[in-house]
Amino acid sequence: MAQWQEVQALPNARLKQIDQLYSMAALPMVVRQCLAAWIENQNWRQAAEPCSSHALMLFHSLLALLGEHLGSPGLGDEDFMLKHNLRKARRDLQEKFQKCPEDFANLVANLLQEEQRILRLEQARGQGDAAPAPSTPPQSDRQQQIQRRLAEFNTALQEAERAFRHLEDLQDSFDFCYKVYFQPGQARTSDPQYAQQIQSLQAKLQILDRQRQEVLAQMQQLLGRSETLLDFLQKELEAWKQRQKRSCLGAPTDTCLRPLETWFTELGQGLFQLLQLLRALGDLRQKVTYERDPLKEKTPHLEQRLRELLTYLLQSAFVVEQQPCMPNPCKRPLVLRTASKFSARARLLVRLHDRNHHMEAKIHIDRDPPKIKGFRRFNILTSSSKTLLAGDSPQDGLVCDFQYLTLKEQKDSRSGKSSKGASEGPLVVTEELHLITFTLAYAYCGLELELETSTLPFIIISNNNQLSSAWASILWFNMFSCEPKEQSFFSAPPPAPWPQLAEVLSWQFESVAERGLDQNHLLMLAKKLFGSKPSPKSTVSWHKFSKDSASGFSFWAWLDGTLGLLQEHLKQLWKDGLILGFVSRKQTEKLLKGKRTGTFLLRFSETVMGGITCSWVEHPESGPPAFPAVAPYTAAELASLALPDIIRDYQVLVEENIPENPLQFLYPDTPRDEAFGPYYSQRQDGNLTEQKYLKQRLIRVSSRQPNESWQTEEELEAATENLETLQLQPGELGTQQPGGLGMVQVTSGNQGMLQVVATSPGMLQPEGLGMLQTGDLRTLQTGSQDLEPPQPPQVGLGVSKVLQPGTGEQLVLHVVPNSQEMMQVGPGGLGTPKVLTSGLGMLQPALGTMEPPVVSQEQGTLQLESLPQGQEVLPSLEPHLGILEALEVVELMPNMDREQEELCPRLASNAALLDARDPFLPQPEDVALSPVSSLFTTDFPSLHIDDSDFQ
Amino acid sequence: TGAVGLYNIGLSCCLNSVLQVFLMNIYFTRILRRITVPPRAAQKRNVLYQMLLLLEKMQCGKQKAVSPMDLASCLSAYRVKLFATHDAAQLFLTLWNLMKMQMEKPELVKELTDLYTICIQEHLACQKCSLETKRKSSMLILPLSMLDSNSHMLKTLEDCLQHFFRPVELTDHNMCLCEQCGKRTPFLQSMKLVHLPHSLTIHLKRFCFEKSAYIHKLNNNLPFPQDLDFNVILTENQCQADNNEKAGWQYELFAVVAHSGSTSFGHYCAYIRSLTELKWYCFNDSHVCQVSWDDVKTTYGHSSLHLGETAYLLIYMKKH
Repeated sequence: MAQWQEVQALPNARLKQIDQLYSMAALPMVVRQCLAAWIENQNWRQAAEPCSSHALMLFHSLLALLGEHLGSPGLGDEDFMLKHNLRKARRDLQEKFQKCPEDFANLVANLLQEEQRILRLEQARGQGDAAPAPSTPPQSDRQQQIQRRLAEFNTALQEAERAFRHLEDLQDSFDFCYKVYFQPGQARTSDPQYAQQIQSLQAKLQILDRQRQEVLAQMQQLLGRSETLLDFLQKELEAWKQRQKRSCLGAPTDTCLRPLETWFTELGQGLFQLLQLLRALGDLRQKVTYERDPLKEKTPHLEQRLRELLTYLLQSAFVVEQQPCMPNPCKRPLVLRTASKFSARARLLVRLHDRNHHMEAKIHIDRDPPKIKGFRRFNILTSSSKTLLAGDSPQDGLVCDFQYLTLKEQKDSRSGKSSKGASEGPLVVTEELHLITFTLAYAYCGLELELETSTLPFIIISNNNQLSSAWASILWFNMFSCEPKEQSFFSAPPPAPWPQLAEVLSWQFESVAERGLDQNHLLMLAKKLFGSKPSPKSTVSWHKFSKDSASGFSFWAWLDGTLGLLQEHLKQLWKDGLILGFVSRKQTEKLLKGKRTGTFLLRFSETVMGGITCSWVEHPESGPPAFPAVAPYTAAELASLALPDIIRDYQVLVEENIPENPLQFLYPDTPRDEAFGPYYSQRQDGNLTEQKYLKQRLIRVSSRQPNESWQTEEELEAATENLETLQLQPGELGTQQPGGLGMVQVTSGNQGMLQVVATSPGMLQPEGLGMLQTGDLRTLQTGSQDLEPPQPPQVGLGVSKVLQPGTGEQLVLHVVPNSQEMMQVGPGGLGTPKVLTSGLGMLQPALGTMEPPVVSQEQGTLQLESLPQGQEVLPSLEPHLGILEALEVVELMPNMDREQEELCPRLASNAALLDARDPFLPQPEDVALSPVSSLFTTDFPSLHIDDSDFQ
Repeated sequence: TGAVGLYNIGLSCCLNSVLQVFLMNIYFTRILRRITVPPRAAQKRNVLYQMLLLLEKMQCGKQKAVSPMDLASCLSAYRVKLFATHDAAQLFLTLWNLMKMQMEKPELVKELTDLYTICIQEHLACQKCSLETKRKSSMLILPLSMLDSNSHMLKTLEDCLQHFFRPVELTDHNMCLCEQCGKRTPFLQSMKLVHLPHSLTIHLKRFCFEKSAYIHKLNNNLPFPQDLDFNVILTENQCQADNNEKAGWQYELFAVVAHSGSTSFGHYCAYIRSLTELKWYCFNDSHVCQVSWDDVKTTYGHSSLHLGETAYLLIYMKKH
């Protein structure tokens, strides 16, 4: 904006200052206003120099312009006053400054300078005011400085251009006089007139020389200031690079390049303009030169210095905007897999280019490979060169965007096949750092450069299972390497100071689930690593962090397992702070000790990779409080049933007691349903008229002996190892046998327990009664949807590998059709209950014929089969196929009514239908024999109705 | 403003910068203003008088820059050539010596000397017989090497100063003749700081001969502080001064003479902090502009910019 316009826009207080300024000045404001643009465009300071003819010229031009203005038709009659004032001003000025135009030049120069000063004051105040305003993003001191300096630089550049134009004028005038008057060789030296002319010529040359010196001095000054500016930009860019690095590691930072691009471009533009100016100065020298011509001495030096500055600016302006990244959801760049596509993008922050000149960008991988034995070499399969494209709009900037790149290992990259194995290089694949270098052949305004920039080091893996440890390497490198191209970093990785490491670990959680680690989490992790309270000086070695697997897995593997679990299943709970997470067992007990019975918390298992467990407190009537914990749920379990639903329906079965949910209050004291209510999955509304199935729901139950003391998690873990794991017979679970029953071999019979609970719609759950469906139970079909049950009407229950016998916690299926029947399959018979329930009308007789569950101890398998009674109303049961965790539950025809509720308790006790001789089950010899608990065979736990069904 | 430029009269940027450093120093100009005006005939050849005239011209406040032509031609009579490139440190010394020589009042000579002279005690100790010789010497400029004895770059100005006062063993070719031993023996040479003047001039030896006679410029980054406390930098046995003297060893930066370009060609400019306004100015011949400490810091040196401005002379002023 022109200066006078800015002045007019000043607030009143400042305008008063301007008013005062002009009331004392010999230049009336009306003239300033009238010729604002012209006045601002002249070099008054220059003209104010003594013996400068420029002042006179300017003065007369001003008078002439005023005269023109007075005569212009634009001024109508209404401007009579204005005309009068202008005329008077013109007369006054002429009178006052006719003899001393330099004074006039000086006056105007001072006025303009004073105006600028007032404007700056206002600006500074404005910035001071604007800073605390919350709406505008706070600019750092440096950013403000950059903007101020850029503005100053541009002003100075304009001034230099004005000085240059003035120099041109002077030179033209001298040149003309020289050609006209200077006639050497003629004997006119005695001619006094000639001598006078020569003298004036000499004076003109003096002035010309001084102006040349002056222009050069201005340029020196400009270069000096732009060095400072470049320094500032450099620091800002460095800060951006740090931000980018942190952002790659998952830190929440702003990596927008736009302001930097604007600044770099503006400075670049200014410097290129200066280069043009210097060249124009060279042209002037071509036309007129003389002994000790300053242009001759100084312009080459200036140009060289300027080119160096430009080169440096452009070099640093070429940056990798997007580090190499596979299109993966886990927000982990810098880990690339061979044969997988990835992309990387570089940007030239100086948005200046010649549209007619195509600039080629290239990428190279490991251009200067480190001298590491066995270092793998790769080829970029896709095209490695590209023409730099300026987007259609100038907003897009100059980008070289390489997409769909793939890497392939060079066959001969290892020196012979014999080098494999022990003689291979010291670095494992996930510690081998690679670099991609971008080069750009830049040309603009006669400056030709090869620009170059490199990505951050990345890791190339060939298999997804290397991703986790590759990511650990990326974290380590970017945290602790000061040299961005240090490819041999992992030959001696430095230890990590804990505070820094803690921050980065926190970012991992923040980027996965939008919530970082708090002080308590970090304290627990630190204790895990250091065994004590960490001091800021505690350090972790790379080996300890990523390799030491004394406990079965390294610290990082454990943490990353937790991250994986979070990302897949617990994002929301973690984000909302419902998971206490990193709490040691000891700390858990400390926290829960003072809480009422049923207070629980969620923590990550320290012994299972990627496991989460509930710990709760029980205060028995006598004795110390107990802190039971359920065996950790891993991703596999959570895939079938979401954690909030597990918590909602979780039950502990104690012999001779009604099963109950021990999880009542989320630590510190939020009622369970209040805390987790929003996360429960909706029980779907069945279409009541078409329901043919029982509603079903999957819940998890633990059982224990009434006199059994609670085992600690660790003990349970130990127990697990001694037990044979569940084995599934995939063939039996396959889809080719509709109704074929999943079979589970349970080795620890005393804990296995399977229950199927079907709640009847309308009655027990007036609001909906949708069948509980977890995400993975796709093959489960709600009654309302599946109207055509396949034959034979059987329920195939595939019980999955997630069952963990011996850990004290089992998958339990309850079938409670209409609350009239409840079938419980005792432990030991886990996998394959087949339930056929009869319709209401038939219920009574059916019950009568029920047989007690039969367990074949010898086989360790339990087979359930429906009884044939009541077949006419048998609801069809969907055979369960394939999905292991799924279960199918019979649903009664929707003709139940209220009275049935009353029947429940009575009927429930003998609803289970079990048959050991299921033809679909594998023969005994296929089955691992195992002891079956006496619990199941001798005392069948009393049946009960889930409380929550009567909400 | 108090900052007035000096026109370049042909490769005079070095002279201009050094002149600005003198003339912006109010402690110097206080002395300058008290000189006796020489007889008319001698005026043209009197450096001090020409300096004074120039100062008057600059301070009359009419112009943004004045021409040092008269002073320059006066200097050319003393073999300070016009239209030739100079070394700022050399020129500083020449100018100072000329002024001192032409100063007539002895009390002014003393004041001028006091204002600029550094006193140092040199110790030479024979390593064989422990014979120690001491010698007081004074210097106008502390010449600081940018490299340590192993030719590694020193990191900061403080390092350079410490390195300057570090004892050196004179062995092999450098052995001295010990009077007591009667033969050439290894000596330990050390320097102790005795006195620091009000206006302390430090020369960063950026131009150096490393291989053969080829001179090159060291552009390395060498930060210098705004405030310098010699009591912090030097150890107890590197000083030979009483507490009163030491209490005055607190300095703040007054001026930087910076060189841009290479050995074969270049440009000098001066960054000077006005002692009256307490603002930094940058003097590029006739072009003067107000700058900030950030601009001064740019002259620390830059490994990527070989032609950029780098500090060459540093002038520190004693704090009050």
